[in-house]
Amino acid sequence: MAKLYVHTVPPPDLNKNTEWFMYPGVWTTYILILFFSWLLVLSVFGCTAGMAWTVVNLFHFAVTYYFFHWKKGTPFAEDQGIYNNLTWWEQMDNGKQLTRNRKFLTVVPVVLYLIASHTTDYQHPMLFLNTISVAVLVIAKFPNMHKVRIFGING
Amino acid sequence: MVRLPYLTALTTLFSYGLLFAFGQMRDFFRKLIDWSKSKGKDLKGYAPICLGLEDFYTRRLYLRIQDCFSRPIASAPDAWIDVVERYSNDHNKTLHRTSNTTKCLNLGSYNYLGFAAADEYCTPLVIESLKKYSASTCSVRVDGGTTNLHSELEELVARFVGKPAAILFGMGYVTNSAIIPALVGKGGLIISDSLNHNSIVNGARGSGASVRVFQHNSPSHLEEVLREQIAEGQPRTHRPWKKIIVIVEGIYSMEGELCNLPEIIAVCKKYKAYTYLDEAHSIGAVGKSGRGVCELLGVDTADVDIMMGTFTKSFGSCGGYIAASKEIIQYLRYTCPAHLYATSMSPPAVQQVISAIKVILGEDGSNRGAQKLASIRENSNFFRSELQKMGFEVLGDNDSPVMPIMLYNPAKIPAFSRECLRRNVAVVTVAFPATPLLLARARICISASHTREDLMKGLDVISKVGDLVGIKYFPAEPPKHVEQDKKTL
Repeated sequence: MAKLYVHTVPPPDLNKNTEWFMYPGVWTTYILILFFSWLLVLSVFGCTAGMAWTVVNLFHFAVTYYFFHWKKGTPFAEDQGIYNNLTWWEQMDNGKQLTRNRKFLTVVPVVLYLIASHTTDYQHPMLFLNTISVAVLVIAKFPNMHKVRIFGING
Repeated sequence: MVRLPYLTALTTLFSYGLLFAFGQMRDFFRKLIDWSKSKGKDLKGYAPICLGLEDFYTRRLYLRIQDCFSRPIASAPDAWIDVVERYSNDHNKTLHRTSNTTKCLNLGSYNYLGFAAADEYCTPLVIESLKKYSASTCSVRVDGGTTNLHSELEELVARFVGKPAAILFGMGYVTNSAIIPALVGKGGLIISDSLNHNSIVNGARGSGASVRVFQHNSPSHLEEVLREQIAEGQPRTHRPWKKIIVIVEGIYSMEGELCNLPEIIAVCKKYKAYTYLDEAHSIGAVGKSGRGVCELLGVDTADVDIMMGTFTKSFGSCGGYIAASKEIIQYLRYTCPAHLYATSMSPPAVQQVISAIKVILGEDGSNRGAQKLASIRENSNFFRSELQKMGFEVLGDNDSPVMPIMLYNPAKIPAFSRECLRRNVAVVTVAFPATPLLLARARICISASHTREDLMKGLDVISKVGDLVGIKYFPAEPPKHVEQDKKTL
């Protein structure tokens, strides 16, 4: 395999929880993980391609909603808890909205939704579940939802 | 600038993702088992000490490879060191010491000039001062803790570094974290390099000033940040800043890189910002007569406002100093809490530094100082060029005694460390969060007391282990070193 080299410069982001996202190869790894999990679901359950994409979409919804928009704070104690009220999404890029990383992360659930609904031929109940996941994920990533807690849940 | 193969970046991210996923699953099952087990907790009503998320990294990632860190030693940290063997019965959650030791080649201690072990000039004087002044002054500097050793060392340090006056502290970390709040407070601005040491970060946080970060070693980004901040002023009120301090380090301990000092000083002078240089790793180790990075890069010491350093690395002692103009040092003597409330440096430690500086300056009547300085320079350059010829990714500039070997994947960290220990070489490995996520490394510190045979043995072992672990990311031949472009001026 040809060894392509990438240059990396450490970015001036002090938050160790989100700084790892600014390195080369993160987007590719994310997409590759989704693709390989689709293959895994196909081989384990032996279902149709569309069902597998729906399963991947719903699993992706559960995992990314929990880790990006529900869990608050950082997994280290050294920053003395200054991010304890912010979810990972709100900590990203130091709170700056509409950066390249944020746009990428907003597009991924939409693309997954399109693939999942296309391969299942827009049938119910998969269409309903897929639509719910993409709606929740995309709304959670809007700039206007920064630091908003609906009904005080997770506040 | 670090180069890494793209495939390695992907596999490293995937490995961390896998470790994270396993950690979360274990936490989930732990919560289930604990919930069903303990219904009547005796800490009812009290808030939990730990939120559960805060120590996730420590519990699920660090504890798995705990045997690679905090290894106890049983001898002085000379070129060869006795490492205590440990064993664990529960997969590294708890470690137990045995009474066996292994003699290993020491590539991890900060022993740049070889003063860490018994020295023919320093040790007799230190023992004499221990008998005369005892192990501790048992007092604060302002009360009864200033002996004439302390005054002598302050003058000697000021003369050595090239500043009018100096002040001492008992601990290097405390020097940074207690001085920065004394120098700048609310309404001031601290601009610090993105890879500064934790002591500087803590000092900046504790000072109450606003902190901004500029991209590592880039004078152009520093200028951008300065212009933006001076134009905007203080947050919300937009009044001008009370003062602006730019903090950089001489040698960055995790990269082995020298600071881009001449350009950064030029930028600071243009915008009238004060400069604070932390020479913890460069004082005594670089420069023709060991006076640090200012001598190496040809910067006049009068241009740097405050120079800080520690005695741990090149002088074989403990403690730190600040060297600046007489007015600043006088001001610090009555404001800095580390001078007013902390115990003064231990007198034998002070004597060790005095003798070490005298050896370096050649005032002990021999040329051992010059020999040591030449030896560390040769050793570092030889080791670094050999490692690069073998195909490792080694960071750092020429003449810097710190050389990190890049590992990247999280599994290679314990592999490298354990395999080296098995072959009697003790190395220090560093991972997230002390370094960026992708860039885990093994940091080698070369000493003047390493002989050529020691270095050859070290190279041999590292080469074998590198093949086993798979970290020779570059073709192993003498290539043109693209990243070795920071030559000495």
